[in-house]
Amino acid sequence: MTQQDNKVLACVDLSPYADHVADYAAWAAARMAAPLEFLHVIDRHPALPGGQDHSGAIGANAQEALLKSLSEEDAARTRAEREAARVFLQRLRERAEAVGASPVDTRQRHGDLAETLSEQQDGVRLFVLGRRGASADSTQRDLGRHVEWTVRSLQRPILAVTERFKAPERVLIAFDGSAITRKGVEMVAASPLFKGLPVQVLMSGKPSGDGPKQIEWARQTLAQAGFDVVAEIEPGDPQVMISQATERKGIDLLIMGAYSHSPLRKLLMGSKTTDLLRAVQVPTLLLR
Amino acid sequence: MSFQTLRQDWLGNVRNDVLAGLVVALALIPEAIAFSIIAGVDPKVGLYASFSIATIIAFAGGRPGMISAATGAMALVIASLVKDHGLQYLLAATVLTGVLQVVAGWVQLGRLMRFVSRSVVTGFVNALAILIFLAQLPELNPNTAGVGWPVYAMTAAGLAIIYGLPHITKVVPSPLVTIVVLTAFSIWMGLDIRTVGDMGELPDSLPVFLLPDVPLNLETLKIILPYSLTLMVVGLLESLMTATIVDDLTDTRSDKNRECAGQGVANIATGFIGGMAGCAMIGQSVINVKSGGRGRLSTLVAGVVLLILVVFLGEWVKQIPMAALVAVMIMVSIGTFNWGSFRNLREHPRSSSAVMIATVVVTVATHDLAKGVLTGVLLSGFFFAHKVGQILRVRSMADNEGRSRTYTVTGQVFFASAESFANAFDYKEVVDSVRIDVSRAHFWDITAVSALDKVVLKFRREGTEVEVIGLNEASATMVDKFAVHDKDGADDMLVGH
Repeated sequence: MTQQDNKVLACVDLSPYADHVADYAAWAAARMAAPLEFLHVIDRHPALPGGQDHSGAIGANAQEALLKSLSEEDAARTRAEREAARVFLQRLRERAEAVGASPVDTRQRHGDLAETLSEQQDGVRLFVLGRRGASADSTQRDLGRHVEWTVRSLQRPILAVTERFKAPERVLIAFDGSAITRKGVEMVAASPLFKGLPVQVLMSGKPSGDGPKQIEWARQTLAQAGFDVVAEIEPGDPQVMISQATERKGIDLLIMGAYSHSPLRKLLMGSKTTDLLRAVQVPTLLLR
Repeated sequence: MSFQTLRQDWLGNVRNDVLAGLVVALALIPEAIAFSIIAGVDPKVGLYASFSIATIIAFAGGRPGMISAATGAMALVIASLVKDHGLQYLLAATVLTGVLQVVAGWVQLGRLMRFVSRSVVTGFVNALAILIFLAQLPELNPNTAGVGWPVYAMTAAGLAIIYGLPHITKVVPSPLVTIVVLTAFSIWMGLDIRTVGDMGELPDSLPVFLLPDVPLNLETLKIILPYSLTLMVVGLLESLMTATIVDDLTDTRSDKNRECAGQGVANIATGFIGGMAGCAMIGQSVINVKSGGRGRLSTLVAGVVLLILVVFLGEWVKQIPMAALVAVMIMVSIGTFNWGSFRNLREHPRSSSAVMIATVVVTVATHDLAKGVLTGVLLSGFFFAHKVGQILRVRSMADNEGRSRTYTVTGQVFFASAESFANAFDYKEVVDSVRIDVSRAHFWDITAVSALDKVVLKFRREGTEVEVIGLNEASATMVDKFAVHDKDGADDMLVGH
């Protein structure tokens, strides 16, 4: 099963956004020369449709009859979705192969998305998922409802992509000197994913004493790996500075650490990651 | 437990949960009244209990979507306590039941459920259905005052509406329509028949906190403890059975130990607001799932709506004719009974049918579900031991030119098979030595070990050398601990034999 190892795993649902996920995943897989797999998760327990039986009467063998009808409903729904998804995944596979990703595999699994992905993550080098999904049109949220919980449950880099595909040409690393972003810098330096692309390193937030020293370390690390680096410090609110810089410099891929705090703290203080994901309109590589 | 689970449990299915909760609340009212009557208390005791248990279980339970309230199983146990000692002792027993259930959840008593076999469960629900049906008979007995042909006609009309209406529309609960129509009819005609108001007091206010009015001494404990123990067992049994049913219906998992503790918390609180002990309800949980209820919200809505309806519509609830209630309860007993078990009597092994029937008979005879289940569990254990005891073979072959014989034992040796094990050897045969090869046998208990001892000693008395070989790991530990034949003075210790 060596082919399973170090693959790029693209998580898709049956929405139009899946095409963009497929494009970015194919791009990443081709650059890293890694196998690509498309995964579709069938959740067996979606919200129920309305219009149920409200008669409140139970006849002879009510329990057996109900069990039978419920399991038949489940089976029918799963079968229908399975076939639709198979056709859909096949199309994405051809699309990815057309732009040079190889080998490309497809897979469907039952279960909950976050649970399924964390089970799968051992053989995975990079997750690719859409920021929005099938529920996007019916909800007001900027982020698909699965994204945060999914990201929290994973320990691998995640590429959260937006609605249009454009092969990334300018990359920005949101750097704050923390362990996770330092690891990110080293990862970028070592990975074939960004080879040859100009990289910007931006440090913002409250000015700190050893800020210049840290960013110099980042610049050197990347320069030694052969990158064309621009490193800057721009004090100010990171969310504002980073999204401004992204637009001003025509950045088309942002790299940052994600959800390093507990859900409790998020409840009280809000999450920087979620805010930033909302503010920035380019694909984002989230580091865990 | 993550925020996501919490959210899914409460808000995963809001619209359906609220609608299903309404259906269940309406279905709970007649049941709570009927079960209060079975228990021999005022209808308000069962109605307050149903409100309080449903509401608390919504938060504390381990099985979202399962309905708990005042139940027939508990009412049957309670009846004699109320008759002999009165309502206040019932409230004290309810609190104590809750405490015992919390402890049961804490020591994970739910694991014992695996000893309750499928046949016992079927016997339990069948007995419950029969008892619920029998409890309706006094209302149909021509010797009861106020029972005459109008009552029979109304009961029949009620059943016709309950089962007929769903064929026309499934939008409104048919038991509710039955009750509304029959009540309106009886008021309009001015019929002189028994109504819910004749059965005792109905709630006229929100429940209030009160301490059970019993002396806190050993005497009281002696009275309530046996009842509380039975209530604990019956309550947990029905709750865990129902949880399994809901698990199967919805293809999801539940936390059984949390459910035990949750039932306890609900009963403690219920005792303090003047309600009777309760547990999960199979019929209502099936109705809830059938109506689309899945989350905790459905249970909460059922409890709260029940209280609102009863407190504000008390005047109307009083006028409900007992005949309407009887019709609803006949539906409940028909829906609870496992009709497939008649067919299974022919298809299932006789021992499982015997277990099922024994559970039903003992329960119906004693009106105590705990005794019925205990009988069923013991009987299934007995049948199982008997079956496994038959898996024992002892073969033998003479060797070394007739100077010795090797016995090969395969299978399970324990109390049920020890005798046939000991009888399988030929002690009178004249040989120099005997080898007993037990490498493919299992020695399970002291009875098995002493049977082996007996065999060895019997051979030695005939002057035959005995060698036991191939005691496998499991048997070896048993033999090392208990056997005497390979220790000094073994014969002396068995002189008495």
